[in-house]
Amino acid sequence: MSQKAPDRDTPGRGTPDRDTSKTGGGPGRERAPAGRAGRAGQSGGGGGGGARRQSPAPGGRLLRLLDDDRTSPIALPLFSVFLTLIAASLLLLALGRSPLTAMAAFLRGSGFMIKPSYASGQNIITDLLSFLGILAPMLLAALGVIVSMKAGMFNIGIAGQMLASGFIATVLVGYSDLGSFIAKPLVILIGAAVGAAMGALVGFLKYRFNIHEVVSTIMFNYITSYITGFYINTYYRDIITRSARVCSTASRLTITGIAAGSLRPTIPLGILIALAGVFIVRFLLDRTTVGFELKAVGLNRDAAQYAGIRVGRSIVLGMLISGLLAGLAGVTYYLGYYNSIVPKELASLGYDAIAVSLLGNSSPVASIFASGLITIFQKGSIYMSSTVGVPKEIASVITGILLLFSACGTYIRYQARRRREKLAEEEAKLAAASERGNA
Amino acid sequence: MGASGDERGDEYTGNERAGNESTNNESTNNKRADNEYIVEMRHITKRFPGIVANDDISVGIKKGEIFAFLGENGAGKSTLMSMLFGMYEPDEGDILVRGKKVVLPSSNAAAALNIGMVHQHFKLVPNYTIGENIILGIEPIKRAWGLLPYVAMREVNERVRSLSKSYGLEVDPTLRIEQVNVSTQQRVEILKMLYREAEILIFDEPTAVLTPQEIEFLLDIMRELRNKGKTIILITHKLEEIKQIADRCAILRRGKLVQVLRVADASTQEMANLMVGREVSLTREKSPAHFRETILAVEGLTVRNEDKFEVVRDVSFSIRGGEIFAIAGVSGNGQIELADAVAGLAKPYQGKISLLGKDITGDNIRHRTEAGIAYIPEDRQKYGVVLDFSLADNLAIKNYYRPPFSENGVLRQDTFRQFAERLITRYDIRSGQGGKTVTRSMSGGNQQKAIIAREISLDSQLLIFVQPTRGLDIGAIENIQNQILAERDKGKAVLLISLELDEVMNLADTIGVIFSGRLLKISPADALTTHEVGEYMMGVKA
Repeated sequence: MSQKAPDRDTPGRGTPDRDTSKTGGGPGRERAPAGRAGRAGQSGGGGGGGARRQSPAPGGRLLRLLDDDRTSPIALPLFSVFLTLIAASLLLLALGRSPLTAMAAFLRGSGFMIKPSYASGQNIITDLLSFLGILAPMLLAALGVIVSMKAGMFNIGIAGQMLASGFIATVLVGYSDLGSFIAKPLVILIGAAVGAAMGALVGFLKYRFNIHEVVSTIMFNYITSYITGFYINTYYRDIITRSARVCSTASRLTITGIAAGSLRPTIPLGILIALAGVFIVRFLLDRTTVGFELKAVGLNRDAAQYAGIRVGRSIVLGMLISGLLAGLAGVTYYLGYYNSIVPKELASLGYDAIAVSLLGNSSPVASIFASGLITIFQKGSIYMSSTVGVPKEIASVITGILLLFSACGTYIRYQARRRREKLAEEEAKLAAASERGNA
Repeated sequence: MGASGDERGDEYTGNERAGNESTNNESTNNKRADNEYIVEMRHITKRFPGIVANDDISVGIKKGEIFAFLGENGAGKSTLMSMLFGMYEPDEGDILVRGKKVVLPSSNAAAALNIGMVHQHFKLVPNYTIGENIILGIEPIKRAWGLLPYVAMREVNERVRSLSKSYGLEVDPTLRIEQVNVSTQQRVEILKMLYREAEILIFDEPTAVLTPQEIEFLLDIMRELRNKGKTIILITHKLEEIKQIADRCAILRRGKLVQVLRVADASTQEMANLMVGREVSLTREKSPAHFRETILAVEGLTVRNEDKFEVVRDVSFSIRGGEIFAIAGVSGNGQIELADAVAGLAKPYQGKISLLGKDITGDNIRHRTEAGIAYIPEDRQKYGVVLDFSLADNLAIKNYYRPPFSENGVLRQDTFRQFAERLITRYDIRSGQGGKTVTRSMSGGNQQKAIIAREISLDSQLLIFVQPTRGLDIGAIENIQNQILAERDKGKAVLLISLELDEVMNLADTIGVIFSGRLLKISPADALTTHEVGEYMMGVKA
């Protein structure tokens, strides 16, 4: 709200300044006074414009929220979400379904709204826990993307790193008969180590041989997918499901078997790792020398080198951390939300994470909300498709639309600025006209 | 409207009269023949958030003259010309071209009025040929067998050749932009305008990137263009150039028009004072040198570039405390590589570099910084700062890893902030929001001030300045050159690399002239004349 203060001071200057017109109606503006007062009221006193005849034009305020340096990081993603909801609603209407029912079904499927009926041992709580179970790998994967982006790289190999760490943890720990207290930490450690190693390898290839990380990670995705697929099909296949054999309950990153009344909840441990990850990553990037170096290298490698930062080390380290987070996403996915691995299939979550980080403006904290939103669509789609009758692939369509609009953020901001300037010009002209009129 | 128009017209001529008595005659003439002005800007005001970039500016530019806009960075010259070129629209005021009021919503509209602009940062596609760059956007399409469309490159190249010949702008239209040097790229930009039949040519700081010889050449081109009847508008802060070629000159200061004057009637000093708004000294006061012990010693240094070509060949010199050792030379003769090798950015192929008697040849950049080397790089936006970092982060980028800036790997943000505040006040770095300002949003001069402040604050024994005043205005140049002298007087060793011969002559205690990688001559500055240095620079004398 504080940025409004200078606006309120400007009328004293008496010029049809751009600042004053930002908040809208100059004296000459033809607007119903009632409407003006109403809008000023809505602004919760922050504008305080009612008395000053300076209420914002309705479009003007939105434009400013989108354009202003302070508000745009929040307003732009929200605006993208809003556009996505509209586009998705139109799509659903075109399919002859009610958007409202469908949206409610997404929420019901993710445990945010009560379903009309539940299977035995389930209710909204178990649904929500299940949602958190899949949210965890999504969030960790998004953090992985964020760290790589801050270091100036694009880790598109999250899915492969997830699969590798999930596979190795399953084989080494999931098929052993270790007890819970040893198995679970071991799974986390192995996941982190395998992911980190893969990430570091990508960083090393980039630094040492100048192999672009996008190329190498895509290749590693295939390599991982087919090698693990080969081993699963040859040694670890479950004859009935055709997936890998399920891992032991002790090794899964969930707590099961606690009966609360009639409920049999599966409590995901991954979400704790993911939330801790959010704050650790934030601290790492904003408050440590390592984060400072990563960002410097990511923004301007030449300047970083000039300043004495070891660029190669930062590149390897950035990819290592990114891979480590992807590895954690892998174990919370394959040994958490699921308990087995489908051979030769990469988790689409590894790619959705890119959408999440884009929507969350590469901010760790914002990615909690962004991954929550995308997970609602992904997770709720199964229930939605069974109740509303739209194929569950619509979730991927919506995610795609969201990705598209998020990627347009800069363009939206540019348009907002242009329109704002145009509005300001009109105001200035009107004000000038009324001044002449007064004279 | 008509009445107010007349009134404005009166004010306008009044303004110019107030500006300079000698133009009195001229302006009364103008009133009779208003269409003598090919471009006229009346009462132009343009505001940006928080700043009035142009405040009620009125000027008229005559056909076939070279008209200069002189002012410091941020005085509003570029904004004013951007409006003439259709990149912004004025908030108030009118633009008249050939006596007619025009609205210029885009640069296409300006081009339609035969207005062309050469921007300070060229707008060329590096992997296209010169010919392709020139026709970009107006490609002449021909059809093979009346069917298949193709770009008539042969005809284009022919026309470019004949155009370049008639204006003395030699270029080969079949070369790619990435193959040619900066000076040629600029000629391409000029040809681009001429190809589009521009009559009014705006040059925005055209000499900022050129060497002295290239500048001479460009000025010749401008004269040639004027002789062929083109109108030239020159935006600059270099007084020498204005003195050399401009007919008239408008001086802007902080968005306001100070004066329009005939260049022949004014001295450089007068113009400098008007531009800065106070007495400025164009020469530096230098106290006598007190040399101390040797700080930097370079022996037999050879540096190879990526193509294994020896860009620095067997260079030896030493710098003592309290000495400014300036390396003069035409751009591209190895001076940048020499500085990079001393600072640790480039690996020497042969030779030895020692600082205070310690061999540092194998040390990395950080070790050298810690051993006592500060480095102000040539390309400040590429090397000097991370543009998207805050000012505070950039000021601390050489210190962030050690106490008190960080402890055990955790940054101390209060130290960052205090350190930034201290340097901002001490070195007068202007920024919108103090240490939090995103460096990209600062002006080039203030970015440079920040880099110099940071490097001086390292308290190093050796300071390497490469082109420290390039692209800066008089006020900033004065400030920076005085700081270089102050460091020298503190007993620091200064390695100054500059393409501006004036700067070298003004500051140096010792001059070394570099030509194709070799130091041809090392001599006390007062034993050399500018002319002699120039001869060594060209490799004429050895």
